[in-house]
Amino acid sequence: MSDPSEALASAKAAADRISKAKRLNACLTPIKDLRKSLVAQAQAAHPSGVLYGMPVAVKDNICTLEFTTTCGSKILGGYHSPYEASACAKLKAAGALIAGKTNCDEFGMGSSTEHSAYGRSLHPFDKTRVPGGSSGGSAALVAAGAVPAALGSETGGSVRQPASLCGVVGIKPTYGRVSRYGLVAFGSSLDQIGVLGRSVHDAARVLSVISGRDPRDSTCEDRDSLRLPTVPESLQGFVIGIPKEYFPTDLDPAVRRACDRAIRLLKELGAAVREVSLPHTAYAIATYYIVAPAEASSNLARYDGARYGPRFNGSEDVRALYRTTRGEGFGAEVRRRVMLGTYVLSSGYYDAYYRKAQQMRALIAQDFRNVFDRGVDLLFTPTTPTPAFKAGEKLDDPVSMYLSDIFTVTANLAGLPAISIPIGRVKGLPLGGQIVGQAFLEDEMLEAAYALERVVPALEEA
Amino acid sequence: MSVTHDEVRKIARLAELDVAEEALPVLAEQMSRILEYVAQINAVPASEGVKPFIPGPDAVRFRPDEVKPSGLAFGPAELAPAFKDGFFLVPKLGAFEEPEL
Amino acid sequence: MPHGGSWETVIGLETHVQLRTASKMFCSCSAAFGAPPNTNVCPLCLGLPGALPAPNEQALKLAVRAALALSCTVHPRSLFARKNYFYPDLPKGYQISQFEQPLSTNGALSYLSPDRGVVTATIVRLHIEEDAGKSLHDRFPRQTAIDLNRCGVPLVEIVTGPDFRSPHEARAYLQTLKQVLEYAGISDCDMEKGSLRVDANLSIRRVGQSALGTKTEVKNINSFAYVEKALTVERDRQMAVLEAGGTITQQTMLYDSKTNAVRPQRSKEESHDYRYFPDPDLPPLVLSEEFIAEQQTLLPELPAKKRERFAAQYALNMTDAAVITAERAVADYYEAVVHAGADSKTAANWVMTEVLADAKDHGEALRVPPGALANLIGLVRGGTLSHQAAKRVFAEVAERGGEPRNVAEALGVVQVGDTGVVAGWVSEVLAANPTEVTRYKGGEVKLLQFFVGQVMKVSRGKADPKLVQKVLEEKLAA
Repeated sequence: MSDPSEALASAKAAADRISKAKRLNACLTPIKDLRKSLVAQAQAAHPSGVLYGMPVAVKDNICTLEFTTTCGSKILGGYHSPYEASACAKLKAAGALIAGKTNCDEFGMGSSTEHSAYGRSLHPFDKTRVPGGSSGGSAALVAAGAVPAALGSETGGSVRQPASLCGVVGIKPTYGRVSRYGLVAFGSSLDQIGVLGRSVHDAARVLSVISGRDPRDSTCEDRDSLRLPTVPESLQGFVIGIPKEYFPTDLDPAVRRACDRAIRLLKELGAAVREVSLPHTAYAIATYYIVAPAEASSNLARYDGARYGPRFNGSEDVRALYRTTRGEGFGAEVRRRVMLGTYVLSSGYYDAYYRKAQQMRALIAQDFRNVFDRGVDLLFTPTTPTPAFKAGEKLDDPVSMYLSDIFTVTANLAGLPAISIPIGRVKGLPLGGQIVGQAFLEDEMLEAAYALERVVPALEEA
Repeated sequence: MSVTHDEVRKIARLAELDVAEEALPVLAEQMSRILEYVAQINAVPASEGVKPFIPGPDAVRFRPDEVKPSGLAFGPAELAPAFKDGFFLVPKLGAFEEPEL
Repeated sequence: MPHGGSWETVIGLETHVQLRTASKMFCSCSAAFGAPPNTNVCPLCLGLPGALPAPNEQALKLAVRAALALSCTVHPRSLFARKNYFYPDLPKGYQISQFEQPLSTNGALSYLSPDRGVVTATIVRLHIEEDAGKSLHDRFPRQTAIDLNRCGVPLVEIVTGPDFRSPHEARAYLQTLKQVLEYAGISDCDMEKGSLRVDANLSIRRVGQSALGTKTEVKNINSFAYVEKALTVERDRQMAVLEAGGTITQQTMLYDSKTNAVRPQRSKEESHDYRYFPDPDLPPLVLSEEFIAEQQTLLPELPAKKRERFAAQYALNMTDAAVITAERAVADYYEAVVHAGADSKTAANWVMTEVLADAKDHGEALRVPPGALANLIGLVRGGTLSHQAAKRVFAEVAERGGEPRNVAEALGVVQVGDTGVVAGWVSEVLAANPTEVTRYKGGEVKLLQFFVGQVMKVSRGKADPKLVQKVLEEKLAA
C-alpha cells in the first residue's frame, strides 16, 4: 500500500470492523473518537513506511498520544499521556495507524482480562468464556478480524496465553529486544511489549518495526531492529527439544493430542526432535509470584493522585489522599499484588523471599542454557494447560488463576523469546502451541513458526 | 506461612493503601495462601551460592550530559488535578507528621 | 572548648552534594538552579507512567573523581537500588540510589582539628543518587506546593564514620570537604543554594568508654556556622539529660536557627522500611580500570598538596600558603602572577591583601589580570611607582582595565627614577637651604628627611624617594 486513498480506505474499514466487534468490549476507545483519529492518522501517515496504512490496536498499558492510557484501571481513568511509547512512535514512523486502545487486566495483572475496571472482554467465539489476559482485548480484536495485528505486553505470558485461547499468533521478544519506554511498568525485569497477529507474518512484521535500540530505555539492547527470515522449505537441521516437565501426566488429553500432532508435523518437516529436561520448572510460578509483585509494588507507588489522574474524595491530609486514591483506584487483584510485593521486600522477609527468588530465577535460566548448549535450537511446548475457561471460574482462588501461566512464565523469567501459534481446536475452542527460542535468535524461532503454521491444521479438533 | 491482621495493616500502611477492616480477614487469608505457595522455593537448597540472574545488558550505558527538550506534548498544568502558580498542589501533611528536611 | 565533666562527644556526618552537570542524573532535563517551578521536568522526573531512567555520563565521572579525591576504593561494579517511600516531592514513590553495592567505600579525608591537630576522618562510603523535588508547606493555606525542578539532580552521598569529637571538628571537616570538592570541580558546595546539605549523628559517652551512646540525628542545618551551633546545642542537651539520670531516645532532632535550639521531629507512625532492591530498570554500573585511571588523571592538584608545594616552591610560610590555596581560583591566579615574572613573596602579599579584598567586594571576581599584577609589582620593584601609587593603579585597573604603566602615567603617579633629573632637584633644594646643609654637615643627620621632603615637594611627589635619599646622601657626603 502506498496510496493515500488506500490508507484512508484502510482506516475507515478498520473503524467499521472494530465497531462491529463492540460487543466484545475489547476496544476501550469510543468508536466516534477512533474513527476521527484513524482518518486523521491516515492522512498524515508516511507513505513509504513498511506498514503504511496498517491498523494496529494498542494495549491500554502502552502510552499513546492519540487516545487515553488507563491500563484498565480507575486510577488512570481519563489519563492523557503527554508523550508516546517508543514502540508507537516506531509504528507511526513506519506508516501504521494506531487503531485504538485495547482492554486488559489492570496494569497487566491477570490472565483473563476479568480484572479490568472497564468490564471484562469476551472470548470472540464464546461470550461465556474469557479471551485470556492480560492482553485479552488485543487478542480478541485480532481474532475477531477487526485488526490484523495489535500490541500487547508480556510479564508472565500475557501475550502468548490470550493468543492461545483466542486462536491467534502471539510473540514475546527476547528481553531487551523492544524498548519499554512508554510501556507502563509492572514487573520491570520481565516486561516486554509483544505482538498479536492473524498470522506469524503479520505479527513478525510489526515486531520487526517496534524492535531495536532506544537510548531512553537502559534495558533495551543496542541492536538493529529484528531482521525477518524467509519462510523455510523445511526444518532440516533444526533440533527441537520437548521438555518433559511441560507434559505432565495430568495434562489435558486434548491438549496433549494437539501437541503430539504438532510435534509429528515438526518431524515431518525435517526437524530432529528430542526429549529434554528443565528441572526447576516446578518452581517457576512461585518464583514469578515473588519477583513480579515485588517490582510491581515499587512501580505502582507513583499512582497517588498527586500529579495526574483522578483524585478520590476531598482528603484532609496528603497521606489520606494517597490511601484513598490507591485504595479506591486500584482493583482487588492489583491491591493484593502490591501488598504481596511490599511484604516480600520488607525488612525481615527480603532474604527469604525476594533474594531467594532471584537465585531461583538464575537456576531456571541456567536450565534453558544447559539445554541450548547441548545442541538444541528451540523448544516446543503447549502454551496453556487448557483452552479458554469460563468467566468467573478462577476468580475465587488467586493461586488457581496464577497456575494458568505455568507454561509461559519460564520464558519471561529467563528473558527468552517465545511464540504461540494456533495448533488445533478443543471442543471448538482454539488452542496454541509454543516455540521457545534462544536469546536474540528470534529469526530461528520464526522460521520454525512459519513452517509449522503452514502445515498445522489449526482449525481441526485435536 | 500465616499473615496476621496486624501485619496486613502494617503492610497496607507501608504501601499507602486503604484496607477496610472488613476486608482484612479475606486479604490476610489470601496473602497467607499465596505466600505459603511461593515459599516452596525454600525447598531448593542448591541456590545458596548462585548469583541473581539479571536479564538485559551486562552493563549500563551512559548518556552524554546534554540538556534536551522534555518531549512533553503538554505541561504539568494540564496534567495536574490541582495546580496553582506553577506548583502541583496536594493536601497538607497531617497534624502528626513533620516535613522531611 | 572543653566540655564539662568527663563526657566525650561522638559525631558522624552524612553530606549530600549536588554534582556540577548540565542535565539531571537520569534524564536530559536541565539541572540548573532557580528556574520557574516545574519547568525543568519531563516524563521521568514527573513520575509519569512508562518513563525510564538513562544515567548521565558526566555525573558518573564527577562521582568517581570525588571518590578518588577522598581516597576511596572505587568499585568496578556497583548497582543502582530503589529506596521506596512515599512523600509529595518524590514523584516515582522511590528514589534511585545505591545500597548494597555502592560506587565506592573506604576513603579518608585529613583536616585540621582545632583540638587535635591534623586528624583523618574515615569516609565509609560515597555513592550516587538522585535528588528529590521541593515541597513548600507555607505557600498556600492547608496545602503543600510541589516543585519538581530539583527532582533528579545528581547527588553524591558521603558518609563518615563516627569520627568527630566536637562540633568544631565537624565544621572543620566540612570546610575541608567543601574545599576538596570545589578544587576537583565536583560541585559548588553552596549550602545556601542547597548544593551541599548536611545531616549529623551525635551521641555522647563517658571518656574511656568504648561503646557508643545512643545517637540522635540532627537535621535542618543550613550553613557551616549552624553546623557548629546545632551540634553544640544537641550535645549540651544530651549531657543535661544523662547527667540528670535520664536516657537518650533515638530520634531525629530539628535545628531551629532562629531560637538556636533543637526539638524532636514529630514522627510518623513507624520508622521507614525502605525495602531496598536493585533497580531493574538499570543494568549494573561497570567501570574499567582505564576509566578509573583516567578520572584520576583528571583530578587537579588537591589543596593539601598544593599548600605544601607553594610553601616549598615559593618560600611561603604555611599560614600564607593556606590563605592563598584556600580557593583553587586564587591559587591558580597566584601562580599565574608568579609565572608572569613577579617575585613570589611580593606576589603573595599582594594576593593576600589587595586582590582578596577587591574580590570580596566584587562577587569573588579576580579583576586584575595576573599579567597586569605582575607588571605592577615589577614597576614598584624598579622604582617607577611607590607602593602607595601602585595600590591606586591596582584599583584603577580593577575597575576600568588598562596597562598598569599607562594607567600610572594617566594618574600622574609615575615616579621619576632618572638620576640626572633627581640630581637636579637635589641640587636645587640644597642650594635653597644652605643653613640646613651646614647644620647637617655639623652632625644633625636627622635633617636628611627634611631634605627628602623638600625634594619631594619640588618634584611634586614624582621623585622616587629611595633614589632621592641616595643622591642626597652622596651629595651631602661630598
